[in-house]
Amino acid sequence: MAEMLDPAALSADDARAVVAELETLADDEFVMAERYIDWQVRGPTLEADLAIANIAQDEYGHARLWYDLLEDFGRTESELIWERPHDEFHHTTMAELAFERGDWADCVLRSYLYDHSERLRLEALEETTYPRIADRVGKVVGEEHYHRDHAENWLERLSEKPRPNEAHTRLQDALDRLYPHALTMFEPTEHEEQIVESGIRPVPLADLREDWLAITTPFLEGLGLTVPVPDLPESGVRGRDGTHTDDWRGLYNEFTYTYEMLDRDPAKLMVDPDEAGV
Amino acid sequence: MAGSEFDEEGGPRYCGYTEYEFGEVDTDDLPATGEGATGLERAVWDALYEVEDPEMPVSIVDLGLIYGVAVEDGEAKVRMTLTYTGCPARDMLLGDVEAAAAGVEGVESASVELVWSPEWSLNLVTEAGKQSLREFGVSI
Repeated sequence: MAEMLDPAALSADDARAVVAELETLADDEFVMAERYIDWQVRGPTLEADLAIANIAQDEYGHARLWYDLLEDFGRTESELIWERPHDEFHHTTMAELAFERGDWADCVLRSYLYDHSERLRLEALEETTYPRIADRVGKVVGEEHYHRDHAENWLERLSEKPRPNEAHTRLQDALDRLYPHALTMFEPTEHEEQIVESGIRPVPLADLREDWLAITTPFLEGLGLTVPVPDLPESGVRGRDGTHTDDWRGLYNEFTYTYEMLDRDPAKLMVDPDEAGV
Repeated sequence: MAGSEFDEEGGPRYCGYTEYEFGEVDTDDLPATGEGATGLERAVWDALYEVEDPEMPVSIVDLGLIYGVAVEDGEAKVRMTLTYTGCPARDMLLGDVEAAAAGVEGVESASVELVWSPEWSLNLVTEAGKQSLREFGVSI
């Protein structure tokens, strides 16, 4: 396997494959964090607020580590996040879905489904041939284990007997709603073959999907939940290819809003008094 | 295994988001403290000793964040890590380090390379750093 020390010296195919792998990693982390912070100051307890804010901070940190490596290929952080068109983000559609009001079950279940997939992917990346990813994987893995502990503790709490009860019903509803979108985590980009062949991530997503199902299915069933048939979203959105749900547009507009305003004359932001009554 | 003076039971945990565990970091060349450095490199190390962690009154060198310093033809290069990936003071700290190195007489330009491997751990805190942290009220 050729050394891939210098990003500028990669073959065009390898460069595209590295970029594709990094974009899905970074975008997953960034958008998961963007959604987690919907819960900040709205968690069921102050402890829960702190925990979810902390998890969000971790994911922002990890997103930044991966966006750093994308900068090697010429784009700036601003171009990668605030100036990138919405249909060029490649995160799993599960990350972008808006929470139903007060549905904490969705938040912890989403974290559970995501963090197990992330761990499997990072473990595969521990064997990467791309040294700049290898340099960072260990640090990220080391900051992830309590995310899974947090999610699993909450899921067990929400599944306490006697059942059925409201918490457990909400959990099942969230599982039914999230599951097809969770499976987009394992949808390949058009560069999947190159990613695996060049050893950028030596394990195919199809294998990670099987590993993930083998871990998550018995755990969820053990909580008394019915795990849906693993089918992708019927609407056809896949995330990895840039297709997203309507929820994504709302979130995208929100997080780019302040950046967009930076270039504008503040006076134009105010409603013209003459037009206010129209 | 480095850090034999510590046992796992004594491993303090101050905060959930920073790993203070005694990990298996390859400490063969770490912590780097500039011991034996001469000339301009010595001067850069001295300047870095003056940079403190934003949260605790301890030099970033004693905290073990600096992995290496090299000066060649007036150009200083500093290699360093951070304790936590989500560190909100990242840009500030990298800026402080760059400014400290660039401020040394004889250094014409300075750059900082941020690395995440080997991962920082408590094993990289020097004896002087532990003393500073104890005085601050952290039991280490």
